[in-house]
Amino acid sequence: MMKPLTFTEEIVLLALDDQTGAQLPLPVTALAYGLAGAVLADLAVAGKIDTDEKKLVVLDATPTGDPLLDPWLALIAADNTVHPVAHWLSVLADRQREVEQPALDRLIDRGILKRQDKKILWVIGLRRYPTVDGHERTEVRTRLGQLILGEDLPDPRDAILISLLRGCRLTDQIFAGPEFASREQRLATLAKMDLVGREVAAATTDAIIALSSAMNTAVPHM
Amino acid sequence: MQISESEVGGVTVLGLSGRLDGLAAPELEKKLAEVVAGGKDRLVFDCAGVEYASSAGLRVFLLAAKQLKTRGGRCGFAALTAPLREVFSVSGFLDILEVHDTVAQAAA
Repeated sequence: MMKPLTFTEEIVLLALDDQTGAQLPLPVTALAYGLAGAVLADLAVAGKIDTDEKKLVVLDATPTGDPLLDPWLALIAADNTVHPVAHWLSVLADRQREVEQPALDRLIDRGILKRQDKKILWVIGLRRYPTVDGHERTEVRTRLGQLILGEDLPDPRDAILISLLRGCRLTDQIFAGPEFASREQRLATLAKMDLVGREVAAATTDAIIALSSAMNTAVPHM
Repeated sequence: MQISESEVGGVTVLGLSGRLDGLAAPELEKKLAEVVAGGKDRLVFDCAGVEYASSAGLRVFLLAAKQLKTRGGRCGFAALTAPLREVFSVSGFLDILEVHDTVAQAAA
């Protein structure tokens, strides 16, 4: 039986377009923060770190055995200063490629994605990651969709995943059908349940505001 | 964290005191597994002594509520301290979990 996907793998997978394998359109840095949050969530459910509104603490610095997570656990554990979650989101978001690429590689190794290289105008290289078999993505979308449309309690894992997905604005893409239009309040309630996801949302919003402000400064209104 | 177990009107009550953090959460999760394995379908957490709850602690609370509800039971949270009420509020737990002022109300 295949080992369950980590949050990091799930975010990487759900951030890709079903058909083309291209990354779904997201606000600037949203995916970087989403992936950073996913790493922290994976470390938290592995019992390696714990969080509250003010700090992230290391509970157990011994490696998890998962190469997707252990470099980041080692990095956090090596810092003698206790920082809030937002600090580590920023650190990991700055290293998005180092988080994302190993997760993509593992999804290919698992047979969930395939790598596809194309050329635009015969010159510009374009790499895509279409799904081999979309059942993992369909399964998680169906499960989370039922949770959003219903009134059931989420289990902690689904609460974390919904919170991360909303934090990096992926819910806007994944749950975009008309049936979800009236469920914004329910989605907001579910997304509040995990602290890391809330911090991802705050960091993403701050980045969007900062970019918007910079653009308004650079391009004065006519 | 100290965990005590009692019964009020046939409802299992787990009394918690101290810090429900990442070090204490596995112990509470183990206790929850025992309660669930014992076939109990009504559980109340007496939170009057909870000084602090981290994300790990909140996950155990959510797990408990989910597991009990899945088996057709109920899980209540009673006598929340101010710090616990604050994290329940921020996390939206006040809106989705059964929260009561007293153990007697939660066990009713």
